[in-house]
Amino acid sequence: MNALPFSRRKALQTLACGFGQLALADLAARRANASASTNPLQSKPTRHPAKAKRIIFLFMQGGVSHVDSFDYKPQLLSEDGRMLDFADLRSLAKTGKSPQQRVMRPLWNFAQHGQSGLWGSDLFPEMCKHMDKMCLIRSMHTEGIAHGPATLFLHTGTTTFVRPSMGAWVSYGLGSENDNLPSFVTISPSLGNGGPRNYGSAFLPPVYQGTAIGRAGVPARDASIGNLRSPRPAEDARKQFDLLRELNAEQLLQKPGENELEAVINSYELAWRMQGAAPGILGIEGESQETLSLYGIGQKATDNFGRQCLLARRLCESGVRFVQVNYGDNTNNPAWDQHSNLKKHGDHAHAVDRPVAGLLADLEQRGLLEDTIVWWGGEFGRTPYAEKNGTGRDHNPAGFSLWLAGGGFKAGTAYGETDEWGHHAVVNKVHMRDLHATLLHALGLDHEALTFRYSGRDFRLTDVSGQVVHELFA
Amino acid sequence: MMLRPLTLALLFAPTAAFAAEPDFDFFEKKVRPLLAERCLECHSAEKKVKGGLRLDWRDGWTKGGDSGPAITPGHPEKSLLVESIHYGNKDLQMPPKQRLAPEEIAVLEKWIQMGAPDPRSEAQALKKQEGLSIAAGREFWSYAPVQKPALPKVESHDWPRSNIDRYLLAKMEAAHKKPAPDAPLHSLVRRLYLNLVGLPPSPEQTNAFIQEATLDKSKAITSLVDTLLASPHFGETWGRHWLDVARFAESSGGGRTLLFKDAWRYRDYVIDAFNADVPFPQFVKEQLAGDLLPFESPSDRRRQLTATAFLALGPTNYEEQDKQQLRFDVIDEQIDTVGRTFLGQTLGCARCHDHKFDPVPQRDYYALAGIFASTRTLANYTDNVAHWIHIPLPEEGPREQEIKAQEEKLAALSHQIATAQAEASAASKLISEATVKPGTAVNPAELQGIVLDDSDAKVVGAWKKSVHVRSFIGLGYLTDENMGKGEKTITFTPPIPKTGLYDVRLAYTYAPGRAKNVRANILHADGETSVYVDQTEIPPIDGRFISLGKYRFEQDGAGYVLITNENTQGFVTVDALQLLEEGAASKQAPDKKNSTPAHKAATLAKQQVKELEDTLKKLTKEGPSRNTTMAVSDESTALDAEIRIRGVEKQRGEPVPRGFLQVTFRGDAPAPAFTPQSSGRRELAEWIVGPATPLTARVQVNRIWNWLFGAGLVRTVDNFGTTGELPSHPELLDYLASRFVEEGWSWKKLIREIVLSRAWQQAVLAPSKEDPENRLFAHANRRRLSAEQIRDSLLSVSGVLEKQVGGSNIAGAGDIDPNNFSAQNVEYNYVYKDLRRSVYTPAFRNKRLELFDVFDFSDINQPVGQRNQSNVAPQALYLLNHPFVLEQSKLAAEAALKSPHSDASRLQNAYHQVLGRPPSSKETQICLGFLSKSQAPPADTWSQLYQMLFASLDFRYID
Repeated sequence: MNALPFSRRKALQTLACGFGQLALADLAARRANASASTNPLQSKPTRHPAKAKRIIFLFMQGGVSHVDSFDYKPQLLSEDGRMLDFADLRSLAKTGKSPQQRVMRPLWNFAQHGQSGLWGSDLFPEMCKHMDKMCLIRSMHTEGIAHGPATLFLHTGTTTFVRPSMGAWVSYGLGSENDNLPSFVTISPSLGNGGPRNYGSAFLPPVYQGTAIGRAGVPARDASIGNLRSPRPAEDARKQFDLLRELNAEQLLQKPGENELEAVINSYELAWRMQGAAPGILGIEGESQETLSLYGIGQKATDNFGRQCLLARRLCESGVRFVQVNYGDNTNNPAWDQHSNLKKHGDHAHAVDRPVAGLLADLEQRGLLEDTIVWWGGEFGRTPYAEKNGTGRDHNPAGFSLWLAGGGFKAGTAYGETDEWGHHAVVNKVHMRDLHATLLHALGLDHEALTFRYSGRDFRLTDVSGQVVHELFA
Repeated sequence: MMLRPLTLALLFAPTAAFAAEPDFDFFEKKVRPLLAERCLECHSAEKKVKGGLRLDWRDGWTKGGDSGPAITPGHPEKSLLVESIHYGNKDLQMPPKQRLAPEEIAVLEKWIQMGAPDPRSEAQALKKQEGLSIAAGREFWSYAPVQKPALPKVESHDWPRSNIDRYLLAKMEAAHKKPAPDAPLHSLVRRLYLNLVGLPPSPEQTNAFIQEATLDKSKAITSLVDTLLASPHFGETWGRHWLDVARFAESSGGGRTLLFKDAWRYRDYVIDAFNADVPFPQFVKEQLAGDLLPFESPSDRRRQLTATAFLALGPTNYEEQDKQQLRFDVIDEQIDTVGRTFLGQTLGCARCHDHKFDPVPQRDYYALAGIFASTRTLANYTDNVAHWIHIPLPEEGPREQEIKAQEEKLAALSHQIATAQAEASAASKLISEATVKPGTAVNPAELQGIVLDDSDAKVVGAWKKSVHVRSFIGLGYLTDENMGKGEKTITFTPPIPKTGLYDVRLAYTYAPGRAKNVRANILHADGETSVYVDQTEIPPIDGRFISLGKYRFEQDGAGYVLITNENTQGFVTVDALQLLEEGAASKQAPDKKNSTPAHKAATLAKQQVKELEDTLKKLTKEGPSRNTTMAVSDESTALDAEIRIRGVEKQRGEPVPRGFLQVTFRGDAPAPAFTPQSSGRRELAEWIVGPATPLTARVQVNRIWNWLFGAGLVRTVDNFGTTGELPSHPELLDYLASRFVEEGWSWKKLIREIVLSRAWQQAVLAPSKEDPENRLFAHANRRRLSAEQIRDSLLSVSGVLEKQVGGSNIAGAGDIDPNNFSAQNVEYNYVYKDLRRSVYTPAFRNKRLELFDVFDFSDINQPVGQRNQSNVAPQALYLLNHPFVLEQSKLAAEAALKSPHSDASRLQNAYHQVLGRPPSSKETQICLGFLSKSQAPPADTWSQLYQMLFASLDFRYID
């Protein structure tokens, strides 16, 4: 190792890099240095005391049917098959009219679970065992009838414009808690329905954008951060890197006093360290068989999503702020999008049910659930009637369910209601913007104060609305 | 008109009556607490004023919000407030979170019935909007006319070489700062090549320049500058800058990304325009209104039409289901882009309200919106996934004739096909009449297998029972009456007594005027299949049934056959469904249809249709075809746009006449004249480049400065509004702006003047304490190589760069139907492997070349005059480990080893290739040490060395 021609302290001050900064002995020391540092990913103080430090978002791309999973509507059973008037949003947007629709009963059986007695269906038998941990929101509504707009709205708070994604806002607001990894990671993201925009930083500095690990369609066992492994033999790579150090040190000598050049050199040092450290974090070789089977790893149906969920836990342990785990694909009708053959929901549920339940159990047993929010849900729900009188359900942004767990949210509770059909949210409605505001609040951020001046205006994730739903907090 | 005062008086009568003797008791006891608890959170001056409605004083609800008065005293049934609390109207439900209890609703209704007595007459003042008035705006520096300033006096006369130098030096002298020494020749030649043509000089080019410069430096520089400005690679490099501000991309990105298959023509248009040094006013007019300009030749017309793709290239969300909303979003994107690209203005802010900081009232936004609302950017407003407009391009003389001849041939063939189809249809009809005797209704019970009559099906929409064609099963059949397309379906759910393979047959009744492509969806044990039935054909089996294919069904499993009238033209009929288990089906279908003369004639006629169709296909494939381009056109009549209250498309306010930014109109300048026959885009372009609009020239020269110096005179290059930065050298900026206009708005001349200035040729120095951001331009800025420069340099050093100028770079893109759902797979599955200049690398919005992503390529969703700069570890990882870098290093090493020279002279060459300079003695020592110590084969060792030169600081920066 050659000594670099500048101090470690200096390096800390000038480094602006995508994967955090040089390791310091402890977090407290770094916080104390916060004011002196120019690192944009420096961990920042919260606006108010907050229980949650990080968030795992389990994105169910395509839209899970809430009336088949967590929103029990007996009327769908008694009225199954009847042709009735519903305000179908897609028909209304297109034609201003809404034809009659056939009520379709849930294909799965509902029962009450746990101490809380919350209703859940046997679509997700494993998740239902954890209902006492869940803070279920059954009155969600959002914007965007088609996948693209609704998915972008979920992630960026707009159906149309190019805006930073929520993870980027969180990174911007809170900085990073780790030294060798990005603060915002998305595992196996889809190229479709907004693609990179869903984890992009838009006008926020690129340092806040999400780093993709793998992508949809690539098996999770092969998912990695790009260019993390040297293709050369280890010994050659080391010698070669030593050469670079010498060359750069020599070049820098000719141009003293340039912070930016020093920062480039630091980015190489960090890259070199990451090459050593990150594969250890991304790899799951050290996990016990017990843990692996908790997530369903090793079983065909659940192996892939199980690996993603386990990786999410490992990243959280390593201090990543925002981990998104994607269950989806690159198509226009992604994963959960059962316009016909709703039975197919069963296959998707089978793939995610055990891994998600495993994640909840694992986080709890490690004490991580205390300060980690788990958010499970899709971009919208599905209609309580059959689409075009067929065998599936269309999109429903007017009413749907999702659940939160951990991170200071009330456990074993349900908030809000849809109408008797499960079509429109009516009681204690929670708009997607309200959810954004609430999640930011849970992390110690004020959605109205978390702004960025761009193009002559202060922008925020929630634009000009959004209200924190305080009732959701324990 | 005379009635109006009277009506108003009547309207207010009840209030007046109660006001005389108001009963505020009920209000105080019941209404005030209720309002405070459930309404004022969002409707008061103290908290928020959502929808413009205040309920914290009487005039608040009298005037009402965006939707008009909230309460009609005495008339609960006419009051919007009452409508909203009843939750009857889905778009107007208050309070939004949880509806009021019935007794609370009753309180408000009673109060309004009473005449809504409200003692709250004092209003708490609302905060005044800030923002600059138009009059004040005219005085703001960027909106004020360009003044060609007098040349400043300077003390040092031997340093300045040009007027630019004098302006800069004057400020330096005022700050007691001296200009930096001239850049070393090695740095200067690399700087010139990379800035003007985007490629590093070869060792030979570097040496040639240094030799010449040693004899006559000034001549050598001038001659190199002129050579580079004349190179076709100049257009590629500077066109790329423009593509950034034009948010150029080759797909729409966002939700359902669509491939812009013709966008490359716009890219080539831009490159050509920069190479030809097209005057900027013409460049602007062509992009905004090329379709409306006169032309002298087909090539002019092609160029002008292609240029308008500028307006269509945005990140449009074609999937938006509300098409009027989509139309409005497109207009918004166009206004925002035009504002930023040409004027450095953030006009998008005025969509919802008067601009909070700049002198741009909401009216101005909608004056511009009228121009774009009168422009057609979307092909129609009905398609589920919308699409842009393809406009056919004219060709020159012989080529045009050839294409016209082909088009005529195709038209004639299509006509023949239509005739043949009519014959075939008539022949079928003969059989129909022969085989399907009137009155032969069949009892479903007499048919084999599982039979469901139409009366057993689930019916959606208005189907009519008919017995018109009298060959049916059961008591009649159903017809959609050729109406309500897309709203009607029929679903048969047959009981499956036994798992097996079944022939699924649909019965319909044949008659002229039937629909051609009736979709049937079959859900079977192995999935869902769609089959299309041509009901203009006689049903092939017994004149009653057509087979939809054989499918596996499971006993008591899910299964159905759904018939829809979606996307059909003509009558759709459904009579019955029959399922025959495999084995039974073959017995049931005696194939005697070819036996009669009528059948033979029908078969012949059909054959003829098929042959003609095949000929058409072949001719289309082999013959010349007309190119199309992405473009816009005018709507048939121009209309003014209505203000959208708070930017919400459906909340319409008053219409605003088309126009431009009022701040640019001074004194008695005439208002712009528009005609109903034209959108006004041409007038818009003329206004942008006209003398009233000083922003245009200022913004462009500042961009040129920024691209050459790495910082603008105004550093917020895309924001010349009041929230942007002030110019560091306002006189120099205006000097450049007036020079630009005087010299015919020539980019090349201005670039030449700047790079020949002594200021531009200064050496790079470390930031000084007094001026850490180098706002004095007292030395050159060290500048990062852009993503394109990195890629092109790597390919150039490795010797594989293909220098072909222009042309599409997505294989087969021309044949793609971009509206086909699979078209996006071209983007998702794209493998970047071409070796052309980076300006040609497909610019997809959802999937970009990794190198571009990592090295801060432009955000191609919005106009970008200055790219982000990040310094992140993934950049280091890319250069250390990416196969592309390894490959170029390997190729460079192989070429180096072919030369018979020593390692020392190879090293000299490598340094010149990669860094444009010789190695220092220390560097030589380090590198030769590395080479001699290596155990690996020489090709590997040299490859490693080249790679580390690519990774080194000096490669990544321009000095």
